[in-house]
Amino acid sequence: MSSNSIGLAWTLVRTDFKTRFHGTFSGFVWALLKPAAMFLVLMSVFSFLFKDPAYKLQLVVGLFLWDFFAEGTKNGLAALHSKSFLFRKLRVPLWILVVAAIANPFITLAVFTLVIVLFLTAVGQAPSLAGIGLFMLYCLALTLIVVGFSLATSVLFLKYRDLNQVWDMVTQAGFFLAPIIYPLGIVPEKFHFLFYLWPPTAIIEFSRTALVAGHAPSLLAHVYLLIEVAVMLTIGSLILKRMGPRAAELV
Amino acid sequence: MSVPLIEVDSVSKSFWIPDEPRHTVREHVMAGFAPRPRRRLPVLDSVSLQLRKGEALGVMGANGCGKSTLLKLVCGIYLPDDGTITTRAPITPILDLGVGWNPELDAVDNVYLIGGLMGLSLAEIARGLDAMLEFAQLRPYARMHLKHFSSGMAARLAYAVAFQAVREVLILDEVLAVGDAGFKQRCQARYREIRAAGHTTLVVSHDPLQIAAFCDRAVMLSGGRIVAEGAAPDVAQAYLSSLVKAG
Repeated sequence: MSSNSIGLAWTLVRTDFKTRFHGTFSGFVWALLKPAAMFLVLMSVFSFLFKDPAYKLQLVVGLFLWDFFAEGTKNGLAALHSKSFLFRKLRVPLWILVVAAIANPFITLAVFTLVIVLFLTAVGQAPSLAGIGLFMLYCLALTLIVVGFSLATSVLFLKYRDLNQVWDMVTQAGFFLAPIIYPLGIVPEKFHFLFYLWPPTAIIEFSRTALVAGHAPSLLAHVYLLIEVAVMLTIGSLILKRMGPRAAELV
Repeated sequence: MSVPLIEVDSVSKSFWIPDEPRHTVREHVMAGFAPRPRRRLPVLDSVSLQLRKGEALGVMGANGCGKSTLLKLVCGIYLPDDGTITTRAPITPILDLGVGWNPELDAVDNVYLIGGLMGLSLAEIARGLDAMLEFAQLRPYARMHLKHFSSGMAARLAYAVAFQAVREVLILDEVLAVGDAGFKQRCQARYREIRAAGHTTLVVSHDPLQIAAFCDRAVMLSGGRIVAEGAAPDVAQAYLSSLVKAG
């Protein structure tokens, strides 16, 4: 990646931040408050149902990771459509537009990571350095999954204009499919593999294991995650490579 | 003779217009993903041209003859259906009298965005920012959002960025057709400087006088084919004659 590409990516991220949050820090705070408010509401309601003392810790980890997944995929899907004014008149590497669109949710995730660690420390469950390291690895894996998804859907959205609405429905259902507000343990183990087909499930479960339970998931679990990331990136890249060169004709 | 910087070899391009519009997943599902009848709209038919270093080539033709499509193909924005396009130098384009502005950003941020896409580094943009705003006579409006700019102001800014960013080949659609007389003069002067510095230009215009004055060679397109090619004044004259015949 040349220094000019890095400069361009930085400009795209900076200007996206400006338009999304009106260039103010308070605008960014609103983005943080949304999942924080959701956490308070869900914890008030469901902590009566799930008596596990670690429930609120599980909830905060799941909810913040989900917020990044939902925001990242939503922004990524619309990335090319919202920046079509650029590639209709200039030759632009499309993948930069897609990755830049995910950068702002990623910044929010980075802040959430700090919030989660502080939260765990405040309630006397300070995670180990290894646990934090593993969590950051899972955040990276989730980011790559979001990038793979966005590479594909951003260009498909140029052709199928209701794809964002379809994805809205999927994420609404996906919020309940992923074990965010409930522990996966309440589901019979023979059905767990079905839940793990939904990418956020593995990330959320592995992150909870590393941060809250304080140990590392199995090697097999990491292999599964690696395959999931590789599949998403490969499919995303192939679809963008196939449809991207004609993106300007689709708008 | 030097190797051409841009080589367009037997390029054809058509657009396919579906008889039945289908833009959503729902519409495709309801139609069972069946193929749609489509009409072929040929735009360019076996067009070939070459552009060598330091040359200025003009492209003329009536509306709908394929001029803008040809430029978008050369810039790599469209893909040809047949034939090949080889580019051996970085291209700086201004198409459709403008570039892709973000209306929600101010002039400075848009300059960074478009300058970056045209290949300028952040340092180069920072160094040239004042000069670009000065050239476009937009210094007092540097922090105004582009949505409040008139089309003429936006076009002036586009020219200022492109003239600053030009590396090797400059592509201009309807060159020097924006702004008031003073701005046109500055554009023409800057264009001559760029030519004198040895840059290569590809220019689309409806104005035979401009093609004759600013280009060495020219081609005339009609119905997607090159129907005249030669010295710019001769092709400009041929274009005028074709207009008289058509009129």
